[in-house]
Amino acid sequence: MPREGAAAEAGPDPAADPRTNIYLPRLAVVDRVVDEIADVRTLFWHFEDPEAQRAFRQFRPGQFAQVTVFGTGEFPASLPASPTEAETFFTVRQVGSCTAALHRLRAGDRFGVRGPYGNGFRMDDFAGQNLVFVAGGIGLIPLRSCILYALAHRSQYGRILVFYGAKTPRELMYRENLRSWEEAAGIECHLTVDQPGEGWTGHVGVVGGLFKKPGVQVPIENTTAFVCGPPVMFRFVIRDLTGMGLSPQRIYSTLERYMKCGVGKCGHCCIGVAYVCLDGPVFTCEQIQKLGEDI
Amino acid sequence: MRARILASHQIGRILERLRRDYEVFAPFQGRGRDTFFDRVTAENQDQVQLHLPNPYYPPKRYVLPHLERLMTMRREGAEWRIEPAPDVQPRAIFGIRSCDVAGIRHLDRFYLGRQFLDPYYARRRRGLFLVNVVCTDLERDINEECFCVCADTGPAAAEGFDLQLMDLGGELLVAAGSAAGEAFLADPMFQRGTPEHLERRREILERTRRSFRATTGWFSATVRYITRGDVLDATWTEVGHRCLECGGCTYVCPACTCFTVSDRPTASGEIERVRLWDACALNGFTRMAGGFNPRRAVHDRRNRRFFRKLAHYFIQRELSMACVGCGRCDAVCHGEVGMPSVIEMIRRATSKAISAPAAPAAAAAAQPEPGRKT
Ligand SMILES: Cc1cc2nc3c(=O)[nH]c(=O)nc-3n(C[C@H](O)[C@H](O)[C@H](O)COP(=O)(O)OP(=O)(O)OC[C@H]3O[C@@H](n4cnc5c(N)ncnc54)[C@H](O)[C@@H]3O)c2cc1C
Ligand code: SF4
Ligand code: FES
Repeated sequence: MPREGAAAEAGPDPAADPRTNIYLPRLAVVDRVVDEIADVRTLFWHFEDPEAQRAFRQFRPGQFAQVTVFGTGEFPASLPASPTEAETFFTVRQVGSCTAALHRLRAGDRFGVRGPYGNGFRMDDFAGQNLVFVAGGIGLIPLRSCILYALAHRSQYGRILVFYGAKTPRELMYRENLRSWEEAAGIECHLTVDQPGEGWTGHVGVVGGLFKKPGVQVPIENTTAFVCGPPVMFRFVIRDLTGMGLSPQRIYSTLERYMKCGVGKCGHCCIGVAYVCLDGPVFTCEQIQKLGEDI
Repeated sequence: MRARILASHQIGRILERLRRDYEVFAPFQGRGRDTFFDRVTAENQDQVQLHLPNPYYPPKRYVLPHLERLMTMRREGAEWRIEPAPDVQPRAIFGIRSCDVAGIRHLDRFYLGRQFLDPYYARRRRGLFLVNVVCTDLERDINEECFCVCADTGPAAAEGFDLQLMDLGGELLVAAGSAAGEAFLADPMFQRGTPEHLERRREILERTRRSFRATTGWFSATVRYITRGDVLDATWTEVGHRCLECGGCTYVCPACTCFTVSDRPTASGEIERVRLWDACALNGFTRMAGGFNPRRAVHDRRNRRFFRKLAHYFIQRELSMACVGCGRCDAVCHGEVGMPSVIEMIRRATSKAISAPAAPAAAAAAQPEPGRKT
């Protein structure tokens, strides 16, 4: 490392400058808050500083940000919006102290954001491929960005299929998107719930069951799949897809690990030989199996 | 190497000179065998010694404080102001041992390397002046647990210091390792060295090297075993059983890097964000909201520490091993699962399993796949 040592030659303080201080959150403003499903809320927001806003908008689907709620702490949250959309937002489930504090924010409130971090999905790598998205519950949060990105670049991809399941019809997220995907040409969207009711006329059962629904044909040749959801669902869907002939190298998912820094320094997210915050959160199923921890 | 000479009783002149530009820290002797780093002042300067056991609490904290304020957040009406913690005074460490110099070099590669530069580490590091003292006193400097010779970090550091002092007996050989060190050597207090001085240096180093306990010469074999996943599950389980989960090994380690971050209110009504050393050996390290913990069993976590430090992948990633052979973790561990002990356990069990001609199938079955359970 080039270093001169003497105090006089020290140069400017890298912690004082927001451009070099990676730990410094930038101020963000809540635009509006929307209730998604029970305990899950979507907050639309923008940076106070237009320059920060412009820089941040370069994010990739699948990346995440570190969110500060003043007085409580910081936590990682995915970027469910596609960079092709006009607005940026977080969709967060209330599980602990920071997420609960985020839920208390209202339009006009300030909070802090830094990022974007993580590898994200390299959407160009999938050009010409069929894209199969499989999500369970809030697993749709990280995949939503990819789906919208793919639809915004529709001609670059083959077929686009979405399989999404939740416990009950009430727990289906992003309902407006689901409705438009069900109706739109160019995307095949199939929904299921574990427990019907409330006038549900759609499919009932686990997500993997949708693959065998009459009229559904899941492409395997020239196909990349994206799977996000609770661990049990994940294991079954992977078994189904690989059983149908899809290679684990062609199945992508995102890993969730305890995180403190988001930039590869605090060590919390390190599993096997990977730092989830730097090398992930997007991994292929093959990589995940090699990392060797519970998903 | 441009070497200079100074009479041993004149180390005060070096300290004096350092204190003009830096806040200076050096190891001091406590009441018993204990030693600790402390700030050097006009009052205690004459108590600074060249030879004493390396303090357990490593000088790492001068670049990575045990607890460090990162920023404060203050409400101003509807607005919030986020203010990074102010810059620090430049510091010098006098009497840092070669293992700890290697520790700081490892931290440099970790915190300043890869995509992101850690600004708080960087600012403490850029003003830091290191005066390395070579361990030559077999009684005072070198402990039972020391194994720098195996980690290839000592007894004399090859790089990473600004100045290096070596006791030739009555005289100090002083060498510079940086431009700042060179500038320091220009001071008229130093005399020119002779070939005879260098010859004495060589002899003393030779003698010192020979006086280490030899059993840890298996470092490289252990690196290979761990990297290939050859280590028996039974060995990890044994390490796990012995670990009391005190976290002590990580707190004394000059090469450990993990931290956690916490926000808390200050007396003046602001919120401060601090970071503190953390330990992968502790149960909460990976536990997520809702209670899910991907790394549950204690031997998974012990295993993690050694894998992170010794797997070839990480050695390549940082271009140095996250163990510098200081032996501190062995000295403080109640369960005798510090680094040199574990290296020895792994070496014995694994080499036996690998060379055992009987029941090769059973041995293979007991081995985790490469990369499993890390
Ligand atoms: C890459 C990534 C993207 C994520 N995206 C989303 C999202 O879009 N929506 C959403 O609702 N949740 C998301 N999560 C999970 C979310 O980060 C945790 O639910 C959240 O950190 C819990 O914080 P808490 O303060 O409410 O809980 P507490 O239990 O009070 O946790 C305290 C701190 O521990 C850490 N922590 C605890 N659990 C987790 C965890 N599961 N993952 C990471 N850090 C944790 C955080 O630093 C947190 O601030 C994501 C996690 C990761 C790793
Ligand atoms: S692992 Fe143990 S011996 Fe190695 S540097 Fe850390 S404290 Fe010293
Ligand atoms: S979150 Fe800190 S290293 Fe990944």
